Amino acid sequence: MTKLLSPANENVLFLGNEAIARGALEAGLAVASGYPGTPSSEVIEALASVARKRNLYVEWSVNEKVALEVAAAASFAELRSMAVMKQNGVNVASDFLLHLTASGTRGGLVLVSCEDPGALSSVNEGESRYFARMLEMPLLEPADFQEAKDLTKWAFELSEQIGNVVMLRSVTRMSHASGNVICGKLPVRSRRAKFEYGGAVMDSQTGPMISTPVVAKHLLHQQRLKVIEELFERSSFNRYIGPAKPDLLILTSSACFLYAKEALEMLHLQKRVGILKLGTTWPLPPKLLKTHLQKTQQILIVEEVMPFLEEQVKVLASGMSPHVGRKTFFGKYDGALPSAGELNPDIVAGAIGAILKVKRKILSKSYLSEIKKATEMIPVREQTFCAGCPHRASFWNIHTAIALDGREGFVCGDIGCYSMAALSPATGYHTMPTLHSMGSGTGLACGFAKLSQFDFHKPVLTVCGDSTFYHAVIPALINAQHNRADITFIVLDNAGTAMTGFQPHPGLKVSALREAVPPVDIVSICQAIGVQVAVSDPFDLSATSKILTSFLAERGSVKALILRQACALSPEKKGKKPYTMQVNEELCLGDACGCNRLCTRIFRCPALTWNQSRKKAMVDEVICAGCGVCASICPQQAIVKYNGT
Amino acid sequence: MKKKPGSQAQLKQKVLEQDLCTGCGACIGLCPYQVTHQDRTVQLFDCDLEEGKCFAFCPRTPADYQKIRNILYDSEDITPEIGVVKGYFLTRAADKRLRARAQHGGTVTALLELAMSEGLISSSIISSWNEDQHIEGKVVENKDCLRDFAKSRFMASPTIAAFNRFKGAYMHKTGIVATPCQALSLAKMKTSEFAGIPNTVFPVLVIGLFCGWTLARDRFENLLEKYGFGIKEIQGMDVPAGKKNLELASERGQVDIPMVEVETCVRAACRYCIDSTAEFADLSVGAARFGKDSEEMRCWNQVVVRSELGKVLMDMAFNKGVLEFRDVPAQALRNLKNAAAEKKKNALKKIIEKSGSAKNLLYLKSDDPVIKYYLQSQRKRKGIS
Repeated sequence: MTKLLSPANENVLFLGNEAIARGALEAGLAVASGYPGTPSSEVIEALASVARKRNLYVEWSVNEKVALEVAAAASFAELRSMAVMKQNGVNVASDFLLHLTASGTRGGLVLVSCEDPGALSSVNEGESRYFARMLEMPLLEPADFQEAKDLTKWAFELSEQIGNVVMLRSVTRMSHASGNVICGKLPVRSRRAKFEYGGAVMDSQTGPMISTPVVAKHLLHQQRLKVIEELFERSSFNRYIGPAKPDLLILTSSACFLYAKEALEMLHLQKRVGILKLGTTWPLPPKLLKTHLQKTQQILIVEEVMPFLEEQVKVLASGMSPHVGRKTFFGKYDGALPSAGELNPDIVAGAIGAILKVKRKILSKSYLSEIKKATEMIPVREQTFCAGCPHRASFWNIHTAIALDGREGFVCGDIGCYSMAALSPATGYHTMPTLHSMGSGTGLACGFAKLSQFDFHKPVLTVCGDSTFYHAVIPALINAQHNRADITFIVLDNAGTAMTGFQPHPGLKVSALREAVPPVDIVSICQAIGVQVAVSDPFDLSATSKILTSFLAERGSVKALILRQACALSPEKKGKKPYTMQVNEELCLGDACGCNRLCTRIFRCPALTWNQSRKKAMVDEVICAGCGVCASICPQQAIVKYNGT
Repeated sequence: MKKKPGSQAQLKQKVLEQDLCTGCGACIGLCPYQVTHQDRTVQLFDCDLEEGKCFAFCPRTPADYQKIRNILYDSEDITPEIGVVKGYFLTRAADKRLRARAQHGGTVTALLELAMSEGLISSSIISSWNEDQHIEGKVVENKDCLRDFAKSRFMASPTIAAFNRFKGAYMHKTGIVATPCQALSLAKMKTSEFAGIPNTVFPVLVIGLFCGWTLARDRFENLLEKYGFGIKEIQGMDVPAGKKNLELASERGQVDIPMVEVETCVRAACRYCIDSTAEFADLSVGAARFGKDSEEMRCWNQVVVRSELGKVLMDMAFNKGVLEFRDVPAQALRNLKNAAAEKKKNALKKIIEKSGSAKNLLYLKSDDPVIKYYLQSQRKRKGIS
């Protein structure tokens, strides 16, 4: 039996995201939706794995806005529902979210945002906590795995209490780490869906689900939040550890609580420094805050990434200053902690040590020099496409076509594994100078392509993945066609949402619940939009090159090229090697004029290695995926392709 | 410490970006880093090799011309105007049918056919149209096909690329029809010190072509469009002596385009070229000029024999009756030398204009005896002693 359905009181090791899923199950969740995004994806995956057993409906929606809408519908039908996404997704869903908090909800609706301080697997470290403040949604932040489960469960109750969305915010170090959780009870009965809307307009439980009259409903919402504030004052998720009169009070939430705890242990300051761990971070309970502010003169706020708590605390503190007196605050505003990036115990310990003028025992000089020597031996590991990745071949083709065209064409990039083309010449061959959000590549391309009247004549290309296409690109492609933007539009179709873990998307024949579904065809959509469409296999370098070269030469219209080749790690390819590749050392020119290591220095597939002693290229048979592309690029035909293994 | 730019970077900075690239193809076909595309030399990827063949064989990088002359030719035959002259002839192909299909006297095609049938060479590299309607080099191993490729095109063909790619080139004797810049590039290869290229005895017969300029394809194509012609329709082109027109022959008949208009299509690099007679070939062939333009003169070639191999071939042509020889008027060689000297002086002038100083001759070395000779005459003309 899956551990997600463990019986009550069992102590289970859960991934943070699994704990969130468990909490939702214990709350009687009925519907869950989301869009894949690291570090959030496992929540939906876990729920999908038990959907049949627990009578859940679980969906990978085409984007986070639609995901939130799907969850909202379930909530309007009096079911408990959850929308799960990473921090980017909250921005995508924000238009609907704005109106949802204004109309209110019925069945408990929890918005789970798993964020990425330090951008470990994102190209931003945006903060969605401010949405809670802007839209006045209660915000909960678990600080450990037990809380991840318990807070999620509580979130549904809170949501039903105010008839509005509650936000739960996690971070990578919480979502993707594991810890022990004692399970609660799983409910036996499930609810029936029903949707009434004949009641009074001001009654969100029986009337229409609309945000008007706006100001009246806004005031009503703010009134209801007062109940939440009271609950937060008494909540055990806000707790204090430390001395009665600490020299320094740390205010913190989320994974930063663990960093702060560890920092105090490193400095042996547990008797001098107290930690107020906040699990309810909006609205901040003012009475609780007052009680703790009165204990001490100095307060350090430890949080990632933005000074969200710091600003709220300072606003409240200045309001209650007649009662608590003047305080000295440390945090991001004064530079005690870095204003960007992830925190860790070392950084927090450094800040505490500086405030209390306590020196940390650091590593001995000899140990430090040993570390330095060891780091010199660590091989450089660059971010790169996997062996057998179709994107490597696609960008090789794109680079060549741009070079032959000779007008300095460039690619507006988008989000997926192929984003890495912007990060390194080893992956993108210098083709991709822009990278923003899902679907923005095509939008930017539309803009660049209309600048010829300002003397801008560089050919404009854009790439997007298959999942990205459905998520956000279609409107931009329609825009290109409607506004006559001369762009070369390339879909890198590798048959899955690869970067985030191979979740299904509308182009596939299977859904999140492993049911057979009719695929939505990208080629047909492009044709319906009215653009010229071609399809090619990126592994076929010469055929793809021909099409790209002719597309770049063709001016004045949108040209769509769908490059189809499954991801090297896709289920259909994993473990299978179509070819065995071998370097014929007699033909290999190595670093001599005539080749100068084209395969290992420029093409850079990780399975091609340079043998320093023999001065020849070599295929690493363990890494090699057997795609065969390298055989086409070797000027000496020294890389040989054998069928099978 | 800044790393010295490698061969490829230097090729880019000193040749490609300076409008000096003649499109000869010497840097192409050696490796995957340079390719030719639609009349342009394109560098696809960055090569960081310090010393590469591309820079060494490019005819527009500095070289010791005197050293090359001494290795390839007999020194007593060297003239400052037109290089080595071992012999000078006016010839035409004896075969009337060949003359009808070829340029002027059809001498080049006749010589290649002879060289192949006598086993002097086993293949020929000439220029031809490819499937993308661009001109490039082609290896012909059947001598009966040579006539299909006769006639001048006046557009640069990266023929050396075909030579570079021809795996048998260094092992089998091959003949190649080369413009002056291409002949220079082959001469640099013959005398190079790169490993794997056998020097001195380089089994290539180089038949040079007289050349004053080539046309940039895109500009020429636009000009032709103006006259309602597609570039593939051209069956033959000529600039008859003394006339101010480019004569185009096509199925639809002949069209004359004023040279003034054609000159706007000339490739920039040609203006900086001092060699109009392919001084580094085994023998060089051009249109005959022995008096006023006439039907007769139009079907003769002038030939300058330079190397021992060139002499062997010409003697063979004479003995086998493959070529007809005509009496050479006294002034003919003098006229050729004068015309060539004019080109040298004009080119040097343009080079100095471009570089801004007589001390910087771009790809030429000012201590080369021929260059020195013309620089001096330049100074004399300007009244500077």
